[in-house]
Amino acid sequence: MSGQDRISASVAVKEGQAVCAACGHDLGPATKPWKDHAHRREIPLAQAGGQAYDTGHEGVLLRHFYCPGCAALLDTETAMAGDPALDDILAARG
Amino acid sequence: MDPMTFSIIRHRLFRIVDEAVITLKHVSGSAITNEGHDLMVSLYRADGTLLMGGVGFLHHLTSAAEACKSIIRRFEGDIHEGDIFLLNDPYTAALHTSDIYLVSPIHHEGRLVAWSACFVHVYDIGAVNPGGFAPQAPDIYTEGFSSPGIRLVAGGEMRQDVLDTILNMVRSPEMVTLDLRSMIACNNVARDRMQSLMTKYGAKEVDGACAELVNQSEDLFRARLRELPDGQWQSRQYLDVNGDTARVNLTMTKKDDRLIFDFSGSDPQSPYSINCTKWASLGGLFAPLFPLLCYDITWNEGVLRPVEMIAPEGSIVNCTRPAPVSVATVGAIQSVNNAACSTIGKMLGASEKYRNQSTAVWHANHFAIFKFGRNQKGGDSIGILTETFAGAGGARSFADGVEIGGEIPNPISRMANVETVEAAFPVRYLFRRRAPDSGGPGEYRGGTGGELALVPHKAPDGGINYVISGKGSRHPMSEGLAGGYPGAPNSYVWVKAPEDGANTPVTAAGGLDAISGTQERVSWGVYPLMGRDALYVRWNGGGGHGDPIVRDPEAVRRDVAAGLVTLQSAGDIYGVALRDGAVDETETMAKRKSIRSARLQQEASE
Repeated sequence: MSGQDRISASVAVKEGQAVCAACGHDLGPATKPWKDHAHRREIPLAQAGGQAYDTGHEGVLLRHFYCPGCAALLDTETAMAGDPALDDILAARG
Repeated sequence: MDPMTFSIIRHRLFRIVDEAVITLKHVSGSAITNEGHDLMVSLYRADGTLLMGGVGFLHHLTSAAEACKSIIRRFEGDIHEGDIFLLNDPYTAALHTSDIYLVSPIHHEGRLVAWSACFVHVYDIGAVNPGGFAPQAPDIYTEGFSSPGIRLVAGGEMRQDVLDTILNMVRSPEMVTLDLRSMIACNNVARDRMQSLMTKYGAKEVDGACAELVNQSEDLFRARLRELPDGQWQSRQYLDVNGDTARVNLTMTKKDDRLIFDFSGSDPQSPYSINCTKWASLGGLFAPLFPLLCYDITWNEGVLRPVEMIAPEGSIVNCTRPAPVSVATVGAIQSVNNAACSTIGKMLGASEKYRNQSTAVWHANHFAIFKFGRNQKGGDSIGILTETFAGAGGARSFADGVEIGGEIPNPISRMANVETVEAAFPVRYLFRRRAPDSGGPGEYRGGTGGELALVPHKAPDGGINYVISGKGSRHPMSEGLAGGYPGAPNSYVWVKAPEDGANTPVTAAGGLDAISGTQERVSWGVYPLMGRDALYVRWNGGGGHGDPIVRDPEAVRRDVAAGLVTLQSAGDIYGVALRDGAVDETETMAKRKSIRSARLQQEASE
């Protein structure tokens, strides 16, 4: 992982571990899905706020992935119930 | 080759494409070409490989290369100076039937030395629905005229029998003639300028520069890839069509100097015409790759070499004949665009050097509404609502997205003036403006999309009809990045006038809800716009970047004041309290603290 210091603007990398960029909370190895270590909340899109998201259709979800340490919103996904989370991982460097 | 000559030839190739685009626009008479810039011109080497990608819809750059190669295979030994070939079969190379390729061999001193290729979305292609997008087509056979390759011009002479046969199968043949002639003129200019270049520098010298240019692009792109982190990034797109939802799944893997786009797990091909063929998917993933990763590298075959695509046969991104594909460009291809934009944005965001190049997904959902019917002058008109090209910028890692800021796959996309549309169709706009809350919330907000409403006006038949191929009214498609929300989904509403005779308002105040009548959502098929009814359309904004509750409260205040964000969203999503038009800092701090608390408490209870 040398020379690599983040997975995204919200998830940094420190000594091979994914960490919250805001508070440094450990989110597991950077070569594994960090979302497994985040708090996940799933709400109907219509309840996400604002009228524009209210499409009048059920079953469309907005997923939030929060830092368990500071509650920073690390990532979002639109999804349907049961669909797996999207995984973004870095490859281990030899 | 000396670097000065190389640079001169490289620059000259750029200019040839530019001049050919100008020619295309000067001759064409359709709004989709002149106003929306739904076009493309590029140059290809003698073997059909991409030499100099031009502007316009970038997903055509690689497909037109395949069109050239297909013509070379089909007409081997029978390709002559002054010939021009037409190809629009999606299962051979094209994206959908209405995007016609005209490809022209370029000869110098009797030898085939290069190709030019261009496309426009022709005025009509004879599909079951006017305009080319055919939501009612069950298969490719009902999507209009389709050719895997035919000689339209032989030795500089139009083959009138071929042209007449094509025109006999389309609506508004005079406009289709103009489309075809604009492409012929475009290719003629490209051919003449390439021949002049070869006369001046010598064919061998120019070909050597072209080979070097391709190798240069490959070297530069591989070097850039080596600078980026190795890893794997995922994206998923939902296309909702007529009650069904299809998925496009993408895993992009970057290792050393190679990129693999793997669409395994995407849904099987759809009964609806949102499918695309493998050539279309390949073009779809390159459309964002060219501008996002190769903004300073010549777009040619060299950029293609480090990239591999995996697209399962029989899936929505590699459908098999006779699956319908007429809506592909705004269906599966655009989802491939979006998914690739998202994964590339994530990869850039993971790079120390390139993090500021990272962007959330831009305008992710064309709405493709074709109006058709008798116009106020008594003639027949068919035309797209070019607002579909107006777009919206995705938020970046350091700034908001551009409001109604275009789209990644077409750097020159734009929309027509309201007056231009009203001059050609018997309609009036009630309003056209930026749509509140359409930009994905985030520390940096996605650019807003827009909204508009149309009513019939001075229509000899009482109004017109329209074909709508509108997906994306359930699922947002402009994904956010790093905690940013997606841009709001599209919305299509038929407002049926009240029977009590109340007039439709003619001001923008109040938007959709101020238009008298009952609202019915529409998205797929053919509908009337008659009498005092109205058609309302909202198009998606760009995705946001970062956590919305760390957005500068003053920026939220400005957004609310400008009508880009509603007061409700300012409070609920951004955690900003406004009082008398100013930020209430104490209440904002309390509100944001409360949101953070709720995030963790809610999780604890789940």
